[in-house]
Amino acid sequence: MELSGYSAVKTTRIVEAVLFASETPLTTAEIARASGEITAADVESAIDELRQEYEQEERAFQIYPLGDGYQILTRPEYAAYLERLDSVTRTVRLSRAALETLAIIAFRQPVGRLEIEEVRGVSVAGVLRNLQERGLIEVVERAEGLGRPLLYGTTRKFLDHFGLRSLEDLPRPEDLQISLRAEE
Amino acid sequence: MRLPTPAGSRIAEVEERFVVDLERFQGPLDLLLHLIRSQDIDIFDIPISEITAQFVAAIEKVEKRLSLERAGEFLEMAATLVRIKAQMLLPRRDDLLEDEDPRSELVRRLLEYELFREIAYTLADAEAERAHHHGKGYVEPRPPPKASELPLRLTLEELLEVAASLPAPPERRPHRAPVRPVTVDEKIELWFEALKRKARVPFEWFVKRWKTRIHAVMSFLACLELAKRGRVRLRQERHFGTLWVFRGEDDEDR
Repeated sequence: MELSGYSAVKTTRIVEAVLFASETPLTTAEIARASGEITAADVESAIDELRQEYEQEERAFQIYPLGDGYQILTRPEYAAYLERLDSVTRTVRLSRAALETLAIIAFRQPVGRLEIEEVRGVSVAGVLRNLQERGLIEVVERAEGLGRPLLYGTTRKFLDHFGLRSLEDLPRPEDLQISLRAEE
Repeated sequence: MRLPTPAGSRIAEVEERFVVDLERFQGPLDLLLHLIRSQDIDIFDIPISEITAQFVAAIEKVEKRLSLERAGEFLEMAATLVRIKAQMLLPRRDDLLEDEDPRSELVRRLLEYELFREIAYTLADAEAERAHHHGKGYVEPRPPPKASELPLRLTLEELLEVAASLPAPPERRPHRAPVRPVTVDEKIELWFEALKRKARVPFEWFVKRWKTRIHAVMSFLACLELAKRGRVRLRQERHFGTLWVFRGEDDEDR
């Protein structure tokens, strides 16, 4: 196939095309694979350029960082309209049991079932299975010692589900003045 | 007045109420924290007697509706509280260090749990915020398309080329149905012949004389036809026993 005029295609547009076509977040390295001539750093600056462009043109979507990648998502102000359409898949909101378990795993990973149960004071076997089925956690290793229990950690999908770039985005425990706070 | 319900639906009903209770409290620590925080109690100086009484009263209300495992979790905490209460009543010895307050381990667990509970709330906020952003195809990656849904990488010319290279279809020949070697009417005649000589004939006697299956089938059809016309009667004592063919009572050919 003729690739004449290919070099005239701007890197920015290649990056845009790849992001547009993807259903999941892509890392800059993954995006760079679309062309032999662009680097991850080129992708990074292209994304900055595109973000400014979308901002100025008031597009209904923006490029958002999710986990170690990027994805084009609609802006929150359009959510209400999209959700009126039957074709939009709704996200399932996690239960409190699931959220508490995830919070412990996110901070303590790799962590075993017994330690989580110790903190929550309840059995978590069912919750763990559910979170694993949803792909939010995974078995990362086995502990030493009796029975070599499974140790869990959070996944890339966990970051995506909560719109986080990395675990660093989670609130720092020292920022939460909980011990002095009265329940409302 | 309510009608008695079957045990199954009563269990389901109980389960339902139990879920509502759990929705309110995630477990014993959650319930305990609620009691402490809602009454502005200093967590570092918990009035154990009071809190124990409140805790026990709260679980007594729901205990019967809890599953054994869930009830166990609450009862274990109740036991811990009672144990701490007992230790508090014992005269304290001077040689004990200040931090050996019997409540200290419980306080540590409560604060730890409260921290993660708080982080869970921020996660819920983050989840809600993320849910307002939609991507292509939206959150759950869809299964890969079926082979039949993938676009064809084939041009019409290529298709025609393949079609042209196929061997010509074999010549069509008219379908020939095999001619039956014997008809039902012929068999009916033979039954009449046999029943002129004998009042009854076992069916198998009639079948054994011809080896091929078609004769057996035709003989049987002939029997059924004659029985329908009332010219013979069919008798069988038991399953798979001998099938006897009797001459019909009203048969003029008798």
